[in-house]
Amino acid sequence: MIGKMDFSDVLASTLHDTKNSLGLLFSNLEDIIADCRERKCPSHTDFYKLQYEIKRSNLCLIRLLSIYKAEKSQLAINVDYHSIRDILEDMLTQHEFLLNTRGIKIETDCDPALFWVLDRNLIAGVLDNVINNSFRYAREKVVVSAFMENGYLGIRIEDDGAGYPAAMIFNEKNNPEFKKEVDFQTGSTGLGIYFSTMVAGMHKKNEKSGFISIANGGKSGGGVFSIYLP
Amino acid sequence: MKPDSPKDINLRDKKVIVIDDFFNFRLTMKNMLRSFGVMYLDDATNGEEAIRKMAVRKYDIILCDYNFGQGKSGQQVLEEGKFRGYINYSTIFIMVTAENSLEVVLGAAEYQPDDYLVKPFAKEVLAKKIKQHIERKENLRDIEKTLAADNYSEAIRMCDALIAQSPRNLSEILKLKGETLLKKGAFPEAEEFYTKILLMGNVPWAMIGRGKTCFLTGQYQEARNIFEDIIAKNDKVMTAYDYLAKTLLKMNNPRDAQEVLMRAISISPRAIIRQKNLGNIAYRNEDYCTAEVAYKSTVEQGKYSCFKSPADYTNLAKTMVQLNNSEGGLNTLDAARKIFPDDDDARLYVSVTESYIYKKMNKDFEARKAIIEAQKIMEDLGGEIPASLKLELARAYIITGEKEKGTEIIKHVIRENHDEKEILEDVRVVFRETGMENQGQKIIEETRQEIIRLNNVGVNLVQEGRLTEAIAYFEKAAAHLPENKIINANAAQVLMFFMKEKGVSGENLNNVKTYLDRVRKIDESYRDFPMLLEMYNELVGESGTNNSG
Repeated sequence: MIGKMDFSDVLASTLHDTKNSLGLLFSNLEDIIADCRERKCPSHTDFYKLQYEIKRSNLCLIRLLSIYKAEKSQLAINVDYHSIRDILEDMLTQHEFLLNTRGIKIETDCDPALFWVLDRNLIAGVLDNVINNSFRYAREKVVVSAFMENGYLGIRIEDDGAGYPAAMIFNEKNNPEFKKEVDFQTGSTGLGIYFSTMVAGMHKKNEKSGFISIANGGKSGGGVFSIYLP
Repeated sequence: MKPDSPKDINLRDKKVIVIDDFFNFRLTMKNMLRSFGVMYLDDATNGEEAIRKMAVRKYDIILCDYNFGQGKSGQQVLEEGKFRGYINYSTIFIMVTAENSLEVVLGAAEYQPDDYLVKPFAKEVLAKKIKQHIERKENLRDIEKTLAADNYSEAIRMCDALIAQSPRNLSEILKLKGETLLKKGAFPEAEEFYTKILLMGNVPWAMIGRGKTCFLTGQYQEARNIFEDIIAKNDKVMTAYDYLAKTLLKMNNPRDAQEVLMRAISISPRAIIRQKNLGNIAYRNEDYCTAEVAYKSTVEQGKYSCFKSPADYTNLAKTMVQLNNSEGGLNTLDAARKIFPDDDDARLYVSVTESYIYKKMNKDFEARKAIIEAQKIMEDLGGEIPASLKLELARAYIITGEKEKGTEIIKHVIRENHDEKEILEDVRVVFRETGMENQGQKIIEETRQEIIRLNNVGVNLVQEGRLTEAIAYFEKAAAHLPENKIINANAAQVLMFFMKEKGVSGENLNNVKTYLDRVRKIDESYRDFPMLLEMYNELVGESGTNNSG
């Protein structure tokens, strides 16, 4: 007797399968790259673009599940007291290699004594997405920094690329009260902003909520993504 | 060119084991680890094999898959490893999972891995995690050693020294400091400490810490509010449910306690200890349907778990009998015999319960046979059997017509546990089920009073300053009632008073240690224990270089 399945079961099961598949793809690719490199084949660098896409797919899936759970009020925020420098260094480790293959250097700038209460998984999810994107848009440099501003913890990702397109600019004045409908017509970029805003907003303290801002300029002259947590 | 493994950690001497059911994955992992310089590399295809290997060799780093198709899960490997001492505070245990860590439920704190590694992961990520954990364990190692020696004040000083350096794992050290403050019994300091942390945000372990502080100081309503608040904010903090249930029990609210555990289990059903607790509470509440489901889960999950015990089966059997399914009960006992073939305790549990069931089926002959077998096993065993088993035996005696014998055993249990609420509840249940409810109530009261008077005589001697007599008195009482928490605690305390006045001696210190070890074994969270321990540590300090025998 086959019973009716709940969609969340379908979703979880499919995601599990897909993630496993991506995992195999990724590690098989690693092996092929190693093999190619040994044979001095010049095109082994082309494979890195494939790895980037696999990572991007994986991040999309994670995002999908989080948003779905949030819609069903099943996404609980899980905070702890974290070393921000530790989180940024984790980002470095995760993304450094792939970025280096395109000649992009990634740096962090954070006071070692900076600790804050936040949900590490959710924040990592947001930062992962933004940093992974810089594979396509940055020229030579990505800087990830953390700082305190007006009682908020700020984490900022700046690249030296051409900057975000006008349609993506969001809350450029870093206004905590900023509210705008997210436009999904822009496809995955809209989804990215939606996800980041959602995660930031889940961090609340004493009537204050987290928020994001997407602008251009900054020290490196390219795109500037910032997330502020109270 | 791929970046090399981190240059400044030396993995050459570390013993590493990879546990995964996929050959390819084990191969990939082992290659990565070899490229980092690991030389001692073992692997295992499943949890059972892993445990066998861990029994023989102490590993420094364990990389274990979360999900095996069959047999023990990664979580069960972790639990059993810790339970049997194959994994201690210096072991690094990393759970490898294909699940997105967002879905991971916050389980019991003592049985959490050091980290999770989500597939797919790059070599550098593995290298970094290993390096970080090695560093982390380095700075924890001395604190853990100090804690193992029960030197709480020193451990707190060490925590503070580390905290001042803003280490990467600051949160973990803060959490450890809080737990140590509680172990030490420094409740006002613990309260202040946790409140300060909570100013930075609603960190779950700090909220639990505050709740525990209230629980341990008897502020049950406050504790209840705190734990309910935690659950309202994040319903996956399982520890909160467990503590909330404990608190409700203290508030004499066993039905609400049961509901809380049922809620917890609906969120995280794979928790054998919680299922056991639910079974026990539901049984006491006479909710046999819930008890049956819980005990069935316990038995099923116990298949591969180190926490399985024969009592799981006998409890299930008893519950089935209450639901008029005596046949089912007998079948369960048969299963128990197969699962625990060489275990004398198990045979005793089974025979005793069997006697009870046969009697309920009016099969007097079989009942007698079973109880005679139980008696024989007990004689063979000779040693101490747990209170719950004693009660089972008593029940069987009463039901097969040996009321005197059974009641004597029950009185003994009461004497040993005159202050233990839950065991006395179990005693009441036995009296209820053997039709001796009213008589039983009298017996409980009288026997308790007997011990209370016994204790008071000794306390009076102390208050009158007749310390030498008091010492002899309590020594005799403790020898007679080695499992009575209060008597042993007082025996320890009297000796310590004596030593404060007349000076420390090696022999007396040893005796105090014996009493305190017993108390800790009976109830680790006994309110007065930290104070007694502190007294003991001070006296040990005073004996200085004068080594005790």
